[in-house]
Amino acid sequence: MDAYAGSSSIMENMVPLKDVAPAATNTVNTQFILLEKGSITQDGKETTCLALVADETASVHFQMWGSECKAFEPGDIIRLTDGIFSYHKNNLVLRGGKKGKAEKVGEFTMLFVETPNMSEIHWARDPDNPKKFLQEAVISPHSRIFPPSQ
Amino acid sequence: MNSSKLLRVTAHEAENPTEVSLREAFFLLQPQLKPPFPLSIPSPSEYSQLNLAIAFGILTEPHLAKTHLTHLHAIVIDGYNFFTTTLLKLCNESYPKLLETPRIQILWLTSNLVQVAAVHVDSLIISLLRQTIGGHFSESNLWLCAELVKILSDNWDWILDEPLVLTSALFVYLRLLADHYRLGGSVKLDSLKRMEIDFCIKALRECFSLCLQIGRDLVRLLQDLVHIPEFRDVWKDLLFDPRKFQVLGFTDISGLYRMRTPAHYFLLRITPDMEAHLRFLLTYVNWGSQKRYQAWFAKKHLCWPGSETVIADIIRFICCSHHPPNEIIQSNIISRWAVVGWLLKSCRRNYFEANAKLALFYDWLFFDEKVDSIMNIEPAMLLMVNSVPKYVDLTHTLLEFLFLLVDNYDVSRKEAIVHGVSAALNLLVRKGVVRSLEPLTSCNLLSLLLRERLITFLPRSDPGVVKASSDTCSQRMVTDGEVAPVLEEKG
Repeated sequence: MDAYAGSSSIMENMVPLKDVAPAATNTVNTQFILLEKGSITQDGKETTCLALVADETASVHFQMWGSECKAFEPGDIIRLTDGIFSYHKNNLVLRGGKKGKAEKVGEFTMLFVETPNMSEIHWARDPDNPKKFLQEAVISPHSRIFPPSQ
Repeated sequence: MNSSKLLRVTAHEAENPTEVSLREAFFLLQPQLKPPFPLSIPSPSEYSQLNLAIAFGILTEPHLAKTHLTHLHAIVIDGYNFFTTTLLKLCNESYPKLLETPRIQILWLTSNLVQVAAVHVDSLIISLLRQTIGGHFSESNLWLCAELVKILSDNWDWILDEPLVLTSALFVYLRLLADHYRLGGSVKLDSLKRMEIDFCIKALRECFSLCLQIGRDLVRLLQDLVHIPEFRDVWKDLLFDPRKFQVLGFTDISGLYRMRTPAHYFLLRITPDMEAHLRFLLTYVNWGSQKRYQAWFAKKHLCWPGSETVIADIIRFICCSHHPPNEIIQSNIISRWAVVGWLLKSCRRNYFEANAKLALFYDWLFFDEKVDSIMNIEPAMLLMVNSVPKYVDLTHTLLEFLFLLVDNYDVSRKEAIVHGVSAALNLLVRKGVVRSLEPLTSCNLLSLLLRERLITFLPRSDPGVVKASSDTCSQRMVTDGEVAPVLEEKG
């Protein structure tokens, strides 16, 4: 029941959100709590919904697809395996992608911060390693789509 | 998409580990679950696996339940300890998500386990009692209330030897009746109310000395039921003929007032989920970060019509059953008084708001330092003081209500109540929960009448002079709607 207390001891390969960087491959294993959901829209044949999610280190925009849109609600603690953090139509988002899986593992009992927001950072390719991205500038300290509730 | 025979799961939900262990044991041992049962003595791990398998079998195969139960009776060597503990775990973790068949089966099992006096069946019953949701009149919730009261009423001899179960069940059903009695007319509901009334009256009339263990909240619960004829008689006897209860030493209702209700009773009216969420909020969440958690809590627990009734129960829990240690009190974690303030603001109807305020002040009325805890009265004091000046309306409402209680709660015992409230206020100052009452007595945003009345509760020597000007309106800085905590010395 206490996802907070357990989160630091879960499997290896789990990264805190502050350590995600854009990549073309499904390698992100992480756990976060869903703070806010946008509206569910149609993207061609697919249903999609953007959400603000966060852990104790950072927040990020999480793009939900298909059945995910109705499956997750604010307050849900979600474990993402083999997720991908990349640009989708100019938005830098975390998502399950074709190979990844998002699962609800709990509710409520997880701490979070809304700053920094990894999706609101301007990334540039590492000149020494074109496959890597580096943080170049902060576009906004927190989500501009889901500003912190006052 | 995983389908489950035990739990209502949606797509994208991780499997519950308890369910997995039950199911895997069942499929592993399925051939052994049909008679003739092996008579070999299992090793400890084999024994556990067998218990898990049988449990899963009973919960998901009602047509074979009796066979499985016979098997269980045949192999049990630990007084059903492991078996009952497994059910207890499942219940605490997942009762709200149990499918209909496993729910029916768990109640059937509980009844059978009571009959063999299984180890920990008392905890199982109490856990199930906690799953009855206040103000929730769904079929499944009312069904649970009915099933449990049937088990208790059918096993009266057993329950007489289980004072904790008896008093806990009484606490729960007195509280439920206050909500159920207001509901009109289906035959099923009338029959439920009748069973609940009969159970409570029997407990009160035949086991009053045990019922006394509940302490003063027994009075608070009974007073909401005076319109029910059987309880009106109990009330009359309590006030005018206490000897009718035939308990040596119990000669007046004030004996009950003087008994603090033990903290565990307040867990009974909040579900394990509510408890986990509230304790998390009060243990880990910093000032300024609470808004989202409060919204999620309200959406999950306070959103259906009638759910307001639970606010009084949550306030009792916070005041009496959740006492943060000093390090948390002195840290930047959100304080109990702020959460209580949010809950009070969530009340929409006067009846529930009044009950919520009574819940907040209840331990003030008969406060006795020797018996009561300062932690039970601290939230009310800090809420009143810290609401000045930004939310001074709330301070005003609370003070007014407190004095209303003093004057009207029990008119013939008013002196005792004045004494209790004075003792509470004086202890709060003496121990440094507040440095003095000046933030209230000198605040000209509060009416002069209220301030002068407040002073009458202080000892004669206290210079709580009502000042015309108010430069000491608040002990704490209020910035942008959030109150910055000030470190207080705690005695």
